[in-house]
Order: sequence, then structure tokens, then C-alpha cells
Amino acid sequence: MVNDQPHLEVRQRAYPTRAAAERSALMDLEFAVNQSGNKGEPNLAEIAWTTGDIKRALADLPAIVPAHIRREFQRLLQPWPAGRYVEAYRRSGGILNLFTPAWGAQQDEVWSTMSAKWQATVFTDAPARRMALMDLEQQWNTTPHPFFAGLTPAQVMIGGGPLEAKLADEFLTQLDRTLAKQNFVGEGAALIKTLMLLRGWQVEPQRGGQTPWQIIVAERNDLLLRRDRALANRPV
Amino acid sequence: MKSKPTSRPLITPTSSDYRQHTREADEVLAANQVEIQPDNWQQLALDWFAPDEPDRAELARYIAVHADRLGVTWAREVLRLQIYLQAQDHHQIVEHYDRAFRAYPRCALFEVWVAGYIMRTSGDFWRARQMYLNAAEELSAHAKPHYELGFMNYLLGDFSSAVEQFDLAVALVATDDTELGPRIFYNRGLVRFALQGTSAKSAVIADLEEALRRDPHYAQAQTTLRALKGKARWTPW
Repeated sequence: MVNDQPHLEVRQRAYPTRAAAERSALMDLEFAVNQSGNKGEPNLAEIAWTTGDIKRALADLPAIVPAHIRREFQRLLQPWPAGRYVEAYRRSGGILNLFTPAWGAQQDEVWSTMSAKWQATVFTDAPARRMALMDLEQQWNTTPHPFFAGLTPAQVMIGGGPLEAKLADEFLTQLDRTLAKQNFVGEGAALIKTLMLLRGWQVEPQRGGQTPWQIIVAERNDLLLRRDRALANRPV
Repeated sequence: MKSKPTSRPLITPTSSDYRQHTREADEVLAANQVEIQPDNWQQLALDWFAPDEPDRAELARYIAVHADRLGVTWAREVLRLQIYLQAQDHHQIVEHYDRAFRAYPRCALFEVWVAGYIMRTSGDFWRARQMYLNAAEELSAHAKPHYELGFMNYLLGDFSSAVEQFDLAVALVATDDTELGPRIFYNRGLVRFALQGTSAKSAVIADLEEALRRDPHYAQAQTTLRALKGKARWTPW
């Protein structure tokens, strides 16, 4: 979960926008909750899911961890809602979504189309209407979303794991070298360049033959399965 | 980006002061002996901003629909906008659009040309996207909104929708279009490769060859085509 010896690591990186730099910090916290211990101990997320006790999950964090970081961990470890995972709008989305400008329900063309169709449908009664909405929300949760770079909201909620953390580090190092050499007319131009690099990178096969996108999706799916198992095994 | 090669004197951006740039734009108009009058403002707006189709027909339609709200002042703002576009003064384009045109009815044609600059300066991606969505809906004969939406979908990582938009742009772009046409085909080729990898190689090559048919000097397309044909395993980024 955390190294035995707390240490401070300072890294300087170039980002195309301030928002991306801030989101990168959130991405790192999402990686941290999914990071298992050196000896295979459960990670923060697994402790929270298995016990239902977030305080217990955070109990072993070193004292050096600032209060605002602890609050972020708490937020990340909150139980997921029964309905639509709207909290996904506030997650980093990992390296694939790190640079996508912040968006939410107002920009969500997918949800607005789905809900408009639901609203236009005539139901036999109010319970049927509510059931249909619940089904629709689950559908949204588990359907690849074009604004999440093809991840589903559930895959966004779970956060990334160690493989994605390593891939993210590689891409950000490469990006840092690229951005340092160029001048841009504005933040937007730097953002466009970054996104073009990212989309090319994510489809380029790695040494094992899989692309970063494939590796990331597989790992997030595995994390989702582990969450399901942990919740199923939670003592009543 | 929108810019028209002309012999008119250009502005070199000297400062970020809006009023200063406005004076400079007016100096360009004076140097071109442009006098905007009640009997020529429509013609000047069309000739300066939209000399070619399909832009011209669209701007003429907009003027006809909103004639009672437009006039000499509006036309002056349009000519100034065109001057900033020619000078590729990104920040002034956006600032002038935001300041000068908020008093007038929304014009999809202006939106389709200005949105790209909004993206490249402030990075206000969602605002630009909404402008392109509006334009795609209102400018049914225009390839550009679909091309730009294709590009935006690619940036979002939605490759399937990007190809769909590029397909729409291909269907609308004129066969002799040598400005936007090459970029549409080139970018569709790249995104097809992103989506399907080497299994789409022949379709990608066809797109690149079409881009080069339209613009034989398109350097990126030349490089990409050479590499794609030459190596068994290569990615275009």
C-alpha cells in the first residue's frame, strides 16, 4: 500500500494547461488507492470495499500526508451511487483523459440523448418510468463514452492501476521533452499538440504487442472485477 | 486556418491592445480605399469575407434574414475580422469576435471560422465544439464543420465518430477543393489507421493519395505515404 519509509518525491513536468497539471495530481492519487503493498497487501481501495470502513483504509497513511490529500483519498473511496456514476465527471480518467478539458452533465451529449429519449417515452405507470430510468443509468455507467476516450464511466470510477501508472509516466516524460522544445500561440495550441501526441501514442503497439489503450482497459476491467469480489466478500 | 492570399497590406500584430489593433485594421481599410456606405455595406461584407461559395451564399442568406439589424457598423466589424484572419492574429480574432459580434444575431459562418482560433488560444474546447455543432446543423452544404468535428472527436479519442464526421466532410467537399480537401483526406487516413491499424493500410494509402492529388506539395502527406508504403510496421506519429 505505501512504502515503509515515507519520502518526498519532487518532479517537474511540462503540461499544456494548468488544468491538466492539477488533474495529474488527482490521477496519481487514483493510482495510489489501487497500489498494492510490496508484499501483496490489500490496497486502500480493497480495504475500503472489503470493510466498508474508509477510516480504516486510511489509518496506515503516514502522518506526513497533508489533510487535503487525505480528504481527496476519502472522496475517492466513497461508496459508488446506486444510480448514475456522475462522480466520474470529477475523476481524472487516467492518462487517456488527462488533457481533455473538464466537462460534465452540461456537455454530456450521450446522456442528454439518452435522457431525452426516456423523457419522450410513455410508460404505463410511475414505477415503470422509474425502472426505465434506473436501467438507463446503468446503461450509461457501462457504455464506452466518447468523451472518456472510450472508457466507460465505471472504468473511469475505478481509477488506474500500476501498469497505467507506468505508461502514464512514460508518456508524460516524452511529452515533457516535446513541449519544452516548442512555442505555441496559446494554451489551446499546446493542448491540441498534446492530444495529437497522446492519441498516436495510445494506439502504438508496445513490446508485448498490446497498445497502451488495450493495456489500460484490461487493467481497469480487472480492477472492476476485484472490486466486485471484494464487495461480494464483505461481511454482513 | 482561414486566410485569403491577397495583395492587400497586412497587419503585423504589434500589441495586445484591442483599440490599437482596431486602428491598425482601419488603416488597412483606408489604404485599400474602402469606404463603407449605406449603399455598399452588403457587397463589401460579401466580397471581403466570403468571396467564394458556399460561404458567399450562406453570408448572403444571413444578411437577407437579419438585414434590419445589420448595416454599416456591422460590415465594418466584418471587414476588421477578415483583416485579423489574414494577419493570423489569433488573440485579436477571438477578442474582436467576442466584443464586436455579441450585439448581432449568431452567424454560423463566423462561428465556423472563429471556433478554431478559440480552441488554439484559450483552449475553450467545449465552446468551440458547440460552435461547430451549430454550424454542422445550419450549414448543410459545408464540409468544414464536419471536418473540424472529426478532428475534435479524434482529439477526444473517439476514433469511430471522427471517421464518421470525416466521411461527411468527404461527401460535401468539392472535388476541386485544394485547401480543405487535402486535409480532410489526410486526417481521415490517419484516424482510420488509429482505429484499424495495418488492416486499413490500403484505405489509408488511398486517402493519402487523394490528399496528394489535390495538393501535390502537401509535405506531411508525402512523408506519411512514403513511410507507410515503405515499411511493414510503422505508425504515422
